[in-house]
Amino acid sequence: MAYSEKVIDHYSEPRNVGSFDKSAANVGTGLVGAPECGDVMKLQIQVDPETKEIVDAKFKTFGCGSAIASSSLATEWVKGKSIDEAMSIQNTEIVEELSLPPVKIHCSVLAEDAIKAAIADYKSRNED
Amino acid sequence: MAFEQPACRVCEFTLVSRLFCFSCNALQPFPLEVDFFEVLGFPISFEIKSAELEERYQQLSLELHPDFYGSAPEAEKRLSETATAVLNTAYNTLREPTSRAGYLLHLLAQKQKLDERSLPDGFLGEMFFLQEALDELLESGNADELSGMRDEMRKRQKDIEADYAPLFKRLKDHPEDSEILQQLQTHLNAERYLRRLLGRIPA
Ligand code: FES
Repeated sequence: MAYSEKVIDHYSEPRNVGSFDKSAANVGTGLVGAPECGDVMKLQIQVDPETKEIVDAKFKTFGCGSAIASSSLATEWVKGKSIDEAMSIQNTEIVEELSLPPVKIHCSVLAEDAIKAAIADYKSRNED
Repeated sequence: MAFEQPACRVCEFTLVSRLFCFSCNALQPFPLEVDFFEVLGFPISFEIKSAELEERYQQLSLELHPDFYGSAPEAEKRLSETATAVLNTAYNTLREPTSRAGYLLHLLAQKQKLDERSLPDGFLGEMFFLQEALDELLESGNADELSGMRDEMRKRQKDIEADYAPLFKRLKDHPEDSEILQQLQTHLNAERYLRRLLGRIPA
């Protein structure tokens, strides 16, 4: 299958690979998997507790090129957004940006799920 | 599970396979949504003797072979082609226990709302941890530890596979038991993650 240029770009030079200390109060961790293929993805956000803005994000994905590209893109997109804004990111936007074919849609769903899981984790540990 | 045995459109002999009559050798038009058990002429059940499946497949693929229909009317010719394609898909789906389990679950769970992503507690975290550990092993090239990990994962996969038969057997006695269905789904999901991990370990 031919990958789009943007997928190849993110795949060969993934942005923000790595991890934060998941026990830190200002960190939210989302761990998700795709039962369709067995791929796993971890996406973490670092949040400014005052402004609720996502100041940094990291990911690590064991999966296909599209999943790596989707999560790489997701970390770029969430940075600088408030957690509420980041919550509204849809996998269809990722599909569009990376020109993913239909068989690779579940890979982008994984990235959306990871963002939501990371935010949910952050919120659950920072309830006011 | 009881199902109505269809009859041959020509000689009315009860069909073994939905695709072909072994009595008068007539190709049978079949519905698009024909199930793979009907295609190969087995009752809908997880228990299939692989030797019997193999034999039935060989028999049918010979009878349906498009080469035999070279001078037949166009419709027959096309029927033999689609029948062969369906036969191959059915055989490939049913022959391997995991894909048979997945297909059977899909047939049996149609009306039930299953959680399609269910996994055992803590499983996802463990898989992520193992994937990271595997990265390190691959980097260090420690052959002993790699083969140790492979053996362990294979064993876990085998353990899961060994559960399919008893679970489907229980389901036969309690056909509507959604807990058993859900458990099967969880097993199938977990196995996919294990396979993915195993796929990264060099043989
Ligand atoms: S194929 Fe599994 S996430 Fe892409």
